[in-house]
Amino acid sequence: MAFKKKKITYEYSSNDIKNSIMLNARSINLPEGWAKQIATRVAKSVDEWIADKEIVTEGDLRKKIVSELKDLNPDLAYAYQNHDKII
Amino acid sequence: MSDIVCIATIILAGIAQASLQLSLGGLVLLYHNSLGKHRRRKTRHLAKDYIFGSCAITFLMVCTLCFLIGNFFSGALATEWLVICAGILAGSGIAMWLLYYRRGKKTTELWLPKPFTRFIQKKARNTNDGVEAFSLGLLSSFAEMPFSFAVYFVVANCVLHMNGVYQVIAVVIYTVLTAVPLIALKLRVKTGRSAVEAQKWRVKNKAFSRIFSGSAFMILAAFVLTYWVL
Repeated sequence: MAFKKKKITYEYSSNDIKNSIMLNARSINLPEGWAKQIATRVAKSVDEWIADKEIVTEGDLRKKIVSELKDLNPDLAYAYQNHDKII
Repeated sequence: MSDIVCIATIILAGIAQASLQLSLGGLVLLYHNSLGKHRRRKTRHLAKDYIFGSCAITFLMVCTLCFLIGNFFSGALATEWLVICAGILAGSGIAMWLLYYRRGKKTTELWLPKPFTRFIQKKARNTNDGVEAFSLGLLSSFAEMPFSFAVYFVVANCVLHMNGVYQVIAVVIYTVLTAVPLIALKLRVKTGRSAVEAQKWRVKNKAFSRIFSGSAFMILAAFVLTYWVL
């Protein structure tokens, strides 16, 4: 499994997903335990989604993560989706 | 020119510059990235250093322009230069009304070159100590220069028209005024709000802030023309 970012192909890592969700969760003051649970659940469902795909784009991956986060914590989904659209 | 007109011009210029969004956006970005990595106390220190950096460049720019005007324009800008400043301010105001933010409903992205935006984002992500936060504050205020340069000229000209005792106080008042949005954000985060809430507020009120910035620049241009040129 791999994903594309600006025409560069990266190996998909479940831990990277968890880490980026944790970073965003801390920035919105989410309790550590809750944040870990959310990160684990999202990473698991993304793992299942990506399992039958050879290659996905970064945009698709982000969309999938945001859609999962929206169900669990809308504020976290907002932070994840918009952290690079501030300036 | 009376001191009251000078002070009024400085306050109006301070409000106009405070309404610019880049340094505020930089601080939101710093908060967002730092709260994810560091303890809240460290983030508070980084934000304080960022605000100091932003204030330092404003203070130094006004002082530098005072020195240049004092030495090369014989102590005051000629009427033609003030007309040019007013024209640039009015042009900036119209540009803000029309194209300050990039198109798109849920973002507060500004019309900046993409590589430059990415550079600031990268710096904000990698800011781990006070010096880096200070330099990020310097950088983001410096990047506002296309809009704020004419404002600095007007302020420096006003400062030079004041009595010697009040000149430094006037520059300090101007610097503090420009930092009011940053200080307000710092206080909000200190009282438990997150940077995401601040960003949501910015997105919700982006039309208002665009109109406010543009109008502030236009009013400053009109003020300069009325009191300093005519």
